[in-house]
Amino acid sequence: MSEPAVEVKNLTKVFSTGLSKNYVVAVDNLSFEVAAGEVYGLIGPNGSGKSTTMKVVLGLMAASSGSAKVFGLDSGDIRARNEIGFLPENPYFYKHLSGEETLKFYGKLCGIKGSELKDRIADLLKLVDLENAANRRLGGYSKGMLQRIGLAQTLIQNPRLVILDEPTAGVDPVGSRQIRDLILKLKEDGYTVFLCSHLLEQVQEVCDRVGIIFKGRMRREGTLDELIQIDSQTAMTLENASPELMSKIHDLIASDEAAGIIEEGHPRTTLERLFIQIADQNKKEESA
Amino acid sequence: MSDSKTTLQSPARSVPLFSISRVWTLAISTLTQLIRMKTFYFLFAFAVLLLVIGNFNFASSPAQALSTIKKVSFGAMDLFAWLFAIVATALLIPRDIEDRTLYTILSKPVRRIEYLLGKLGGVLIVIGISLSVMFLVCAGMIQWQEMGYIADEVSASPNGISDETRQAILLIEKNGFHSDLAVAALASFMKAAVVASVTILLSTFASSSLFTIIVSVLVFLVGHAHTMATNFWLAETDNNMVVQMLLKLFKIIIPNFQIFSFSEGIVQGAALVPALIWQMTGLTGAYLVVFLLLSLLTFVDKEF
Repeated sequence: MSEPAVEVKNLTKVFSTGLSKNYVVAVDNLSFEVAAGEVYGLIGPNGSGKSTTMKVVLGLMAASSGSAKVFGLDSGDIRARNEIGFLPENPYFYKHLSGEETLKFYGKLCGIKGSELKDRIADLLKLVDLENAANRRLGGYSKGMLQRIGLAQTLIQNPRLVILDEPTAGVDPVGSRQIRDLILKLKEDGYTVFLCSHLLEQVQEVCDRVGIIFKGRMRREGTLDELIQIDSQTAMTLENASPELMSKIHDLIASDEAAGIIEEGHPRTTLERLFIQIADQNKKEESA
Repeated sequence: MSDSKTTLQSPARSVPLFSISRVWTLAISTLTQLIRMKTFYFLFAFAVLLLVIGNFNFASSPAQALSTIKKVSFGAMDLFAWLFAIVATALLIPRDIEDRTLYTILSKPVRRIEYLLGKLGGVLIVIGISLSVMFLVCAGMIQWQEMGYIADEVSASPNGISDETRQAILLIEKNGFHSDLAVAALASFMKAAVVASVTILLSTFASSSLFTIIVSVLVFLVGHAHTMATNFWLAETDNNMVVQMLLKLFKIIIPNFQIFSFSEGIVQGAALVPALIWQMTGLTGAYLVVFLLLSLLTFVDKEF
């Protein structure tokens, strides 16, 4: 079995508040693993300890007890940083730099130079669809564009692990979908993605496995199917069902004492999907 | 992206213990940031100041007029250097923390000492460029004025240069431009470097930029009375051991900015003493090393 991309064991992080010697346990004996090549989502409400866990994995914070490893390296080991690309929540890169200069800056920090860096920047700008805005300063970027240049920044040194903290926070549904598509592309290309979010629908769409954290403790963990399926219920979507057929089905269900209908009606799209559909339609009409 | 899968299998890449290239990247980024914040606009203000004192100088003699230009322009250069060093250094690191830019930088294979050196380096490059430009503008202005005054003296003596005229020309030349003035500019630069390193140390643990700026200015001012204050207090025999220890600690912690004051003499025409330059360079280097090490001690385990 290959080495896990992230291995968090009995991680506890305690913060002391001020001079009063009060302690706040942000992460409480947390353990989980992210396998190489999978998309793992850590979800939980604000203040549940997601970002703290992420910062310990990134080496920006030290654990009070327990350990965090990245591809077998202690998260405090600087070599681990070569394996990680990180996109913080609402990133504010240097506004005075253009998109291309931003990637050049981070690339140089990772020791990439010359034509290798130039090619890499061109590839990444294409990947995040910012080729036309490459020379614009980030001060003029929209939130969605900032997230996408941030995502390109995370990939500059071709890390094996990509850590994303609320990657679609504050982004409109179209931008949000672009980012989701990029995450799926990363998975397709073999990257490991460790994602923190409280947007459940987003997590549901991209993650292979999910951990649910509350008050610093892992409450549930597993694959999406394991977590969201209701074993005692069965859903059936019919097409062109006549009233006669529906009547027969109702009779059949009524003949079984234990079975019952919980919900019945026409399936609905989500408001988000409808919004995207209208936006796409509008775009097509404008280009026609 | 097509070949990424093969790269993704590669083992952990090594990271050099220290990379001058990463420091340089951070320094150039800081320089770009400060340039795009239109920092160099003050150079126009400096040029205007020089033009004003050059053309509306009501000194009683040419020598005095030249001396005034030198004092004002080198005073302005010195003021700019230390004030800019404090303000720019105090603002840069907290802003990176506030904007979370620091997260993305430190999540790359960047060592914290490289980050600190890069930031300090960027500020010092801006100060170095500014002082050089100001020095050249100042040198040009002094020489232009000097030549004008000498030409006036010569034209005022149509029957040949008298001893009196020769004396006047010598006095103008003495108060005019001389290469030793470059050492005065260098002293301003070194003073700014020391005060920037003190500010870096303060900004690694201070909670606000305002606190950092105020304390840095205080340290700077107290550092100008260093010798006088420590000699006076340490000579007091009534002081108990604790007070004596505290005073000795003060003597070590607060940099002695008086070591740079010999540059004022150079501006006023005093002879240059090479030993003082070596002393100034040595102490500047020592202060930089000590304050950067102390900054690293507080910054290395800082949690963000």
